[in-house]
Amino acid sequence: MAHEGTYVPRTAQLVQSIEENSLERTFTFELLDGEPLRYNPGQFMLVTVFGAGEAPFTLCSMPGSDGLLRMTVRRYPGGRVTEALHEMQPGGHVGIRGPFGNGFPMEMLRGRDVLVVAGGIGMAPQRGLIEAILNDREQFGKLTVFYGMANPEQMLYDDLMQEWLERPEIDLFMTIDRPHPDWSGHVGLITTLFEDFEVDALMTSATVVGPPVMYRFVIKELENLSLNPEYIFLSLERRMSCGVGKCGHCAIKGTYVCIDGPVFSLTKYRQLDEE
Amino acid sequence: MGRELVMTREGAQSFFGRLIEEGPVMGPRERISQPGFVMFDWLDSAGQLRLKYTTTTIPPKKAFFPPRQPLFEFESSQPPTITAVQEATAFTLVGVHPCDLAALEMLDDAYAQEPAEACWPAARARARVIGVDCLPDEYCFCFGFGTCYGREGADLFLTPIGRGYLVEVLTEAGGGMLRLSDVEDATDADREQAAAFRRAKSERMTASIDASPAEFADILEEDDFGELWREVASRCYSCGSCNTTCPTCFCFDIKDEFDLGLTGGRRIRSWDSCQLQEFALVAGGHNFRRIRWQRVRHRWHRKFLYLYRDFGRPYCTGCGRCSRACTADINIVDVSNEIIGRARGRA
Repeated sequence: MAHEGTYVPRTAQLVQSIEENSLERTFTFELLDGEPLRYNPGQFMLVTVFGAGEAPFTLCSMPGSDGLLRMTVRRYPGGRVTEALHEMQPGGHVGIRGPFGNGFPMEMLRGRDVLVVAGGIGMAPQRGLIEAILNDREQFGKLTVFYGMANPEQMLYDDLMQEWLERPEIDLFMTIDRPHPDWSGHVGLITTLFEDFEVDALMTSATVVGPPVMYRFVIKELENLSLNPEYIFLSLERRMSCGVGKCGHCAIKGTYVCIDGPVFSLTKYRQLDEE
Repeated sequence: MGRELVMTREGAQSFFGRLIEEGPVMGPRERISQPGFVMFDWLDSAGQLRLKYTTTTIPPKKAFFPPRQPLFEFESSQPPTITAVQEATAFTLVGVHPCDLAALEMLDDAYAQEPAEACWPAARARARVIGVDCLPDEYCFCFGFGTCYGREGADLFLTPIGRGYLVEVLTEAGGGMLRLSDVEDATDADREQAAAFRRAKSERMTASIDASPAEFADILEEDDFGELWREVASRCYSCGSCNTTCPTCFCFDIKDEFDLGLTGGRRIRSWDSCQLQEFALVAGGHNFRRIRWQRVRHRWHRKFLYLYRDFGRPYCTGCGRCSRACTADINIVDVSNEIIGRARGRA
């Protein structure tokens, strides 16, 4: 069997590659061995493009009956794996290891209102979480989603966003950083969505995924709302080579993001601050 | 301590000769082009073995985790074929000092921590290990670290005595190896000479860290020492020599390489260094330990605080390799004692 041992991946075929915008594509993979993969929203996979290398990507949707794996990947100039993935045609093959990490702690969200804050490609891991909540809707209270992006062109999952805007069981608020001719909605940084926003502070959990610079400002807003830091969750990005807490790249202090994270409560996140 | 026997100098020569005939043996030997420079490498004959040496630049962990290790080969067919690289040959690692035996055990613990890693234990299971005792130089500081007299993981352990070696038989595999050797029962005089060797070892040790591992961990945890890290970092070149020579460093990188024909290649696991600037770099250019002092501090914290908390002992054996290798003359004992001194000065 090819997927025995720590480092040998399972083989998967690329069945679909969808252009989301000029930087990001969503890839759908099917594992050749047909063994279903169980995972939690917020967990990540290590994806191999043979010859280019291996890189971590978060799964962006929940396991469906089709057994397919979806990941949205930004192309980074000079990033060998992301460039090769973006060039790959359906029918091409990759290696897959995982799932790795903890994912979002559903037990800390269940029975509570949930505020999802996504900046840019941070919507990718949050999409899986939102799907998980929608699949089990009566287990959760109010579901509010804040989605901020630099400009309308960057929006991920356009059709899904339209669907969510129309569904009564989810309140989606979107914003772009600066005015744009193609945008008639809210304009301003994601923090401006917090103006006049009211929550039941004791009964609300929040999840935050976005670029590093966003965290500081969003955390301040969540604190202004008096949310309990034990119920605020952030997903951290680190370089990961092994996925099993050995290679050292993702280590922050004594914590390995790849096994203890990537999702941490704000309380834990503060303890990890290296500055 | 196991059964004690004596192997004469001539007996040892023929023992290692037979061991090499039986299968691959790695041990300390001189580099052919550089007499006097002792390194761990495969032995062709017993005459190459140098059991009396101070230390090697590269620690013997390379026997189990080579600096560049292929993990699997791939062919770029559709679908690709993947063949795991699995070494199966049994071998013997000889001439390992107590500090390096301790380091191997630390790596056993680190790689076995859940979720466990598979390559290291597989390589360890292929090898028998013969330790040998040593005398320190001015860089060694193992005495305070409990690694001075360790026998962990050794099947046989040799202590130099007048007529050869006092041999401690520590495992069944060790006893099995002795069928290749003529050994005699140890006399009281042999035992006294071995004890004298061990006394000389600690008496000759000049360097030491001025706090117990537990106190040092507390000191590092409680205080910032920002100024000191900046001072040390101002001398550091971020070359990573401290990591590549460290017997307890276990971080690595994983990369692919293609064959020239581009029809296939292999995935390589290679030693990595937390002192290199790109170590904590992520996609998009953000670097979580961009500044040099953050990386210098990370190394000390990892050795003496984080892994100490995880495993109950510092991930430092007192071998002094990092100090010997440092191109900027940053000495692990000096810096540690400076930290301890400043902490006590504040208290």
